[in-house]
Amino acid sequence: MTGFAFIWYNLKKSPLSIVGIVIVFIFAMVAIFAPLIAPTPEGHYNPYMIPRAGYSPTPEPPNAEHIFGTTQGQYDILYGVIWGTRTAFQIGISVIGAVLIIGITLGSIAGYFGGIIDEILMRITDIFLAFPALILAMAITIALGPSLTTIMLALIIVSWPSYARLVRGDILSIREEDFIQAARGAGSSNFRIIIRHVLPNSIYPVLIVASLDIGAVVLSAAALSFLGLGVPEGYADWGQMISFSRNWIVGTANNAFAYWYTVVIPGVFIFLFVLGWNLLGDAFRDILDPRLSRR
Amino acid sequence: MAELVRIRDLAVKFHTYEGVVEALDGVNLTINKGETLGLVGETGSGKTVTGLAILRLIMPPGRIEQGSILFAMDDDGYVDLLKLTEADMRSIRGSQIAMIFQEPGAALNPVFSIGEQLTEGILLHRRQEVVNLAIETIDKLLKNTSDLKGHLLRPLRLFKRSLYKSIREKPNRLLPRLIGRIPGVRIVLNGLQEEAENIAVSMLREVEIPDANRIMKQFPHELSGGMKQRVVIAMALSCCSKLLIADEPTTSLDVTIQVQIIELLKKLKKEFQSSLLYITHNLGVAAELCDRVAVMYAGNICEVASVLDIFKNPLHPYTKALMLAVPKPGEEPHAIGGFVPDALSLPSGCRFHPRCQQAMDVCKQTNPQLIEIASGHLIACHLFKGEQGASSR
Amino acid sequence: MALEANIAMDFSTYLIRRLLLLIPVLIGVSILIFAILQFFSPVERAMLFVHSPQQFGRIDEIIEQYGLDDPIWKQYLTWITQIFHGNFGWSQVVGMPTLKAIGTFLPATVELAIFATPLIVLGGIYLGTKAAAHKDSFIDHITRVVAIVGWSLPTFWLGLMLLMVFYGFFSGLFPPERLSTAMNAVVHSAEFTRYTGVNFLDGILNWQWNVTFDALRHLVLPVLTLTVVMIAFIMRLMRSSMLETLGKGYVLTARAKGLPENIVINKHARRNAMIPVLTIAGYLFASIVNGVVITESIFNYKGLGWWAWRAAVTLDIPSILAFALFSGTLFVLTNLVVDLLYARFDPRVRLGASA
Repeated sequence: MTGFAFIWYNLKKSPLSIVGIVIVFIFAMVAIFAPLIAPTPEGHYNPYMIPRAGYSPTPEPPNAEHIFGTTQGQYDILYGVIWGTRTAFQIGISVIGAVLIIGITLGSIAGYFGGIIDEILMRITDIFLAFPALILAMAITIALGPSLTTIMLALIIVSWPSYARLVRGDILSIREEDFIQAARGAGSSNFRIIIRHVLPNSIYPVLIVASLDIGAVVLSAAALSFLGLGVPEGYADWGQMISFSRNWIVGTANNAFAYWYTVVIPGVFIFLFVLGWNLLGDAFRDILDPRLSRR
Repeated sequence: MAELVRIRDLAVKFHTYEGVVEALDGVNLTINKGETLGLVGETGSGKTVTGLAILRLIMPPGRIEQGSILFAMDDDGYVDLLKLTEADMRSIRGSQIAMIFQEPGAALNPVFSIGEQLTEGILLHRRQEVVNLAIETIDKLLKNTSDLKGHLLRPLRLFKRSLYKSIREKPNRLLPRLIGRIPGVRIVLNGLQEEAENIAVSMLREVEIPDANRIMKQFPHELSGGMKQRVVIAMALSCCSKLLIADEPTTSLDVTIQVQIIELLKKLKKEFQSSLLYITHNLGVAAELCDRVAVMYAGNICEVASVLDIFKNPLHPYTKALMLAVPKPGEEPHAIGGFVPDALSLPSGCRFHPRCQQAMDVCKQTNPQLIEIASGHLIACHLFKGEQGASSR
Repeated sequence: MALEANIAMDFSTYLIRRLLLLIPVLIGVSILIFAILQFFSPVERAMLFVHSPQQFGRIDEIIEQYGLDDPIWKQYLTWITQIFHGNFGWSQVVGMPTLKAIGTFLPATVELAIFATPLIVLGGIYLGTKAAAHKDSFIDHITRVVAIVGWSLPTFWLGLMLLMVFYGFFSGLFPPERLSTAMNAVVHSAEFTRYTGVNFLDGILNWQWNVTFDALRHLVLPVLTLTVVMIAFIMRLMRSSMLETLGKGYVLTARAKGLPENIVINKHARRNAMIPVLTIAGYLFASIVNGVVITESIFNYKGLGWWAWRAAVTLDIPSILAFALFSGTLFVLTNLVVDLLYARFDPRVRLGASA
């Protein structure tokens, strides 16, 4: 079976993968068309700050004016979740992109050259990994002042070690393969060997992990925002919006679910987004892993 | 009757994502008691699948579509292995029919010691024997209670004896099985374990492994390829004496080790009087070891004859080509033209016809049946008509 | 005889060597922490050396005294010496030295972990094995869906939703925090001896069963929140590992020997399949720590995670750093235990071969 037909066959076999692709696609559309779906009001200078319809602390249930209702402080939920999609993509792609670049570079250098360089890298990653990720991220965000960029920086710093180690491990196993020796025997320079032979063969596991991780990164960013250590208050970010709902989850005396929309709606968005990427990552793995897909 | 196994019209198909592979297409084969039958063919001819099918170890997406495999039971009757329940089949596996595979390293579980893997089978299939031996040992210990240790351990030994006796009477009693599950308490059953280990050690000696006691404690990765294969043979023979299926057991070993293993198999065969189905692509080995040889091509049996006949008087074009293809010193090797057919799109009619020098029109249309043209010599080829109306045997 | 003695010595030398390796890693961690520290102002950094409310008033003197305006390497040395004197700083957020804070809040987190960890590990392994053994069956599909849903859920959102349902809707069936007000009074009263600080245990030891019952009632939601996400991860890993193992030659051999299917799966396959799961044990531990922080903060469950969260939000640096050092140590020790288990499980691994 040729490449394309093979991919299509595999996708058909697992409907979940198609679901994943569809979900991510829908979210991408939402992010791109955010200004159309939830237009920024006139005079509002930063579209990422959710517009407020007043200052009352009590959330308003969904109505004609605010389709998803408002959360504490009268932030429009619809606006928040729509523009939050953009934030999520920003975070996910920037962090994973940066981590991939750093991880691949450092990992391949360490893995290919081995020796002292490898030892040093292993010790450094050990140190970073010994630190609980959330705490390190928290410490960094506090040190640098909470903001979107800080979150991204913190997550990059926290995530790169695992990728570097992953790439290093793959490279170690590829390095001794015969075709690498052959390339060396033919006189290729080290750099050329890395770029043309080693990387293409070891990159697939890393890409799979990366696509699965976009979801994890967004979850971590949401957690940080939820804990109050991320974006400024009122920023269009899903985690932020859920932190608003903390005080309202017990509802009123007669109706425990009175303020369900404050917590359920942003949460569903996070959940679906992460789910979509996880399914997508699974789909990648099923396609790219030759051993598993040949049945 | 002298037949141990009678395979009739066996068809096995693999339903893969690229299509249906007909691995075996109407295979007819007979294995007699006490004989070594060589199953010879190229890679992809279906010989391994035949072996697995006998043990009903074909895993999905493979399926045994049709056919029958008659196996001689102790009471002189035959059962069709394909019609047995899974539980009944399981009681035959390892005890009546055993299989050894090509890669001994892959066949042994890396996390268990050699001793554990050997005793596992023994405790499963020779339990009665083990229990009896254990009771005998305890009886002997109980008689020699002159020293202090004997006196102290007496109650424990008496308890163990009654436990073992109850296992002997009713093998499936709940209490002993429960005891076996509890980590500390199960030491009580060590009598059984010891007897099983003794049997294991004697098996290891049978397969000529030096320092058997030490090997028992070692792990697979600590042994060489040849040793591992001996262990696998010991495992198979420790419980089974009727049919041993060997799937290319020497292919992954050094030539010098190969010779040793083959000699070992010859010796064991005589001692245990078991039948051996020896699957190989190496004609030389087949000549060394086998009484009869069956040649397979693309899921069909082409020719079956005694080993002398096959080598002196090959009749089927494929067999003849195989003999010619063996390199002889001083001569150019004669390769068989063409390639083994793609499993997904087998040629119509006789599978070999595209590569056969003597192909006729009828060969393209119908697949020849296996018929007996001389005593003990069967062939499936349109060139040989044989006695009219002779049934395939 | 000599061979066995050699092996024994190998083990203890290996152990000592690994424990010694702890030191450079911890030094590295401390350097990392210190580097982050540099982003804070001298006042904030002086808080590290404050260990009583009185000292807090004299912060300028402290800055002077500890040379917080000195070059970095000198500051690092001062900080290290302080650590060796047992002065890990003052936790402003709970008003006690950080070491004491760790001691106070540790039992609560232990209580949480005692229930969550076996559930996660054993449950995940069991379900993953079952799913792989019955591939493509109904159980397998359900397990996979649950796993992927669980892994995509934000922990904090799950916690909030559970609270909404079980605390709000079912009026206080499974409440947040560790104990109800009434039981809290009991636990802190004179008649009650807090042997361990782990409430449900103390309840049993004091023969006060309502304390135990109350503690357990409060544990349900946090444990559930913590477990769901983690179990999903282990299930998936175990399943894929089992699937790979089931294709191996020794599994076919085991079947050819006539062993019953459950022995083939549970004895032969599972032992080998667990090895990759063991490899991620370190990562798992880190995830649990993360999960604990979030979970405890949602349920106001006053354990180490809650303390870390409060410290982070109120910019209480000494607490954060003490927490980080503590979990860093724990992480390294966990890795050591994992490596030892590795050597026990997989005879191919020689002690001392670096990962």
